Amino acid sequence: MATTTAAIPVGSTRTYRPIWGWYAALVVLMAWGLAAWIYELHYGLSATGMRDVVSWGMYIFTFAFFIGLSAGGLIMASSAEVFGIKALKPLSRLGVLSAAACVTVAALMIVPDLGQPFRIMNIFIHPNWTSPLIWDILIITVYFVFSVVDLYVLQRHATEPSRWRKLTRVLAYVGLPTAVLLHSITAWIFGLQIARSWWNTSLMAPLFVVSAVLSGTALVTLLALCAERFGKVELSEDTRRWLRGFIIVSLFVDLFFVGADYITVLWGNVPADRSALNLVMPGGPWAWLFWVEWIVGGVIPLAFLLVPRLKKMPGALGLASVLVIIGVYAFRIELVVIGFVNPLTQYPPGNAVGTYNAQTTSFQFIGRYHPTWVEYGIIVGLVALFAAVVTIGYRALHVMEPSPASGQGRGRAAVETQASS
Amino acid sequence: MAAKKTSVPHHVMVIDTNRCVGCWTCAVACKQVNNEPLGYWWNRVLTTAPNQSTSAKPPASDNIDVPFGTYPDLELAYLPVACQHCNDAPCVKVCPVQATFRRDDGTVLIDFNRCIGCRYCMAACPYGVRIFNWGDSTYAPGGVVGYGKEYWTGDRLVFTPERPKGVVEKCTFCVERIDVGELPFCVEACPLGARIFGDLNDPDSQVSELVNNGGGEQLHPELGTDPNVYYLPVARRVPGES
Ligand code: SF4
Ligand code: SF4
Repeated sequence: MATTTAAIPVGSTRTYRPIWGWYAALVVLMAWGLAAWIYELHYGLSATGMRDVVSWGMYIFTFAFFIGLSAGGLIMASSAEVFGIKALKPLSRLGVLSAAACVTVAALMIVPDLGQPFRIMNIFIHPNWTSPLIWDILIITVYFVFSVVDLYVLQRHATEPSRWRKLTRVLAYVGLPTAVLLHSITAWIFGLQIARSWWNTSLMAPLFVVSAVLSGTALVTLLALCAERFGKVELSEDTRRWLRGFIIVSLFVDLFFVGADYITVLWGNVPADRSALNLVMPGGPWAWLFWVEWIVGGVIPLAFLLVPRLKKMPGALGLASVLVIIGVYAFRIELVVIGFVNPLTQYPPGNAVGTYNAQTTSFQFIGRYHPTWVEYGIIVGLVALFAAVVTIGYRALHVMEPSPASGQGRGRAAVETQASS
Repeated sequence: MAAKKTSVPHHVMVIDTNRCVGCWTCAVACKQVNNEPLGYWWNRVLTTAPNQSTSAKPPASDNIDVPFGTYPDLELAYLPVACQHCNDAPCVKVCPVQATFRRDDGTVLIDFNRCIGCRYCMAACPYGVRIFNWGDSTYAPGGVVGYGKEYWTGDRLVFTPERPKGVVEKCTFCVERIDVGELPFCVEACPLGARIFGDLNDPDSQVSELVNNGGGEQLHPELGTDPNVYYLPVARRVPGES
């Protein structure tokens, strides 16, 4: 561990210069999202690109994506404690903060997807316990409360390590299974459905968990790199090595799982499975998903993480993280949309779309889906909310900074003191 | 109590695909009696090939009435599909708020007042028969809107002629008709008599005979949804003939 002492005074007492431009931009985007939602409330979900064949779209795959980012962040933070990975401990609070922000955004993402959002209380009045959705809402609530409590405890631990040490450990042990469960239950929303052979695989939960670790770690890496760039903290070489390792291993496992699933479908050649896979294979109408997943989100980031010459380039880790996140998002799109495009009972003329357009037929044989500005607007607004929560949380809680008790005003060295405590 | 139980009928529909000519009368009749707005089809007549579930040939076109196969080996048959009223219905299992429910007579219904519009049921239904109210409904120009009446079973609103936005709907087995001893409207409308409706609990009913001895088959039986709609295949042994 290199111990160059950067003479930057850091400590919980530090105050930040407010960045009004950034906040203003976020507020504008959030207002835009809110406006899009009000528009949607007025016109109903016909304002979106979804129709009866592809009846879930951007809200749901972005929801699943944010759940993944969230679970991943917490898994990383908890593993640091459970497996004693000292180099990752300075990122614990950042990981938990991003987990809390992501799960909030994911939960809010469901609301615009509902046709009757003002009846949402029915979920608590008439719960149906055979529905994976009820269990998912339960685990999301538990997980949100847990991550807030965990953040609080980690925060106290930073100032009084001796008193909060034990609870920190206990919470890390609880956090790991909670995060795995959060993602598994979200996977089972899809994986248990016999109507969609594209979803109906027992691989779904493991696949979701590993892609969560992958995208969550990449997100925390990105946030840490932003903190380094704007927040005047430095990541040690060791921390970078661990982050890189986490991403490499989970990316390999992720691609392995997806590949194993492809092989099963290709070899079995069952028509229903095969026609779905053909849509994403090179040559199919959704092949861009395949390329984004395997090349943009697979081969290229691996090159930037593994090839010695490339990985030394400044920004290699950041670039790889961005690409990996894009790849995982493509996987979520593929999962949800392809599940709908080819329905199980598929004979001419197909399914009725449920809306009327004098120019076209009311039927779709192969499902089509193009999100509208309303969907993009709401998603952008919620991503802005995520950015705002993380920025404010980062600054208010000083999540990347060492405890004042252990190293006031010693900058980088202090980060490492905390890391080894 | 036990005596009351046996008096509950078990409603099933049998569709004779050998009689169906693909005229869509049932689908249009369904639209009329149920006040379905434009773009909604609770009931569709799909173009397929005889015994398609076993041969699994891809359709030649995505338009109706185009035969399957390549000339001169052409095949054509029709498969009218509406809600199958599954006994083990995936839509009932996934609905988070019990808005979709199954009555004791086997009918699967949706409570218009309780549905939150999450559309999980649409993802879960293997037969693609559910319709969502995406926005304000458009009705046929000049058509009468709202000649149907609201229908409640217990405290559940299971049919309303003017659709609320943001809830899911589908075939109700014409619950308002069968509850007063009438036949579902598609059964009455079919000019070929291809649709037979009745009580499976009554061993002497025509549907019992067709389901038990007539070779009635369910759609996608391998999924275990156990539908209450049965199809008589095009090629089959007719009881009494040899
Ligand atoms: S056919 Fe679909 S909507 Fe009807 S009961 Fe079965 S699963 Fe539910
Ligand atoms: S859309 Fe309505 S009926 Fe369907 S699962 Fe959701 S709440 Fe239940």
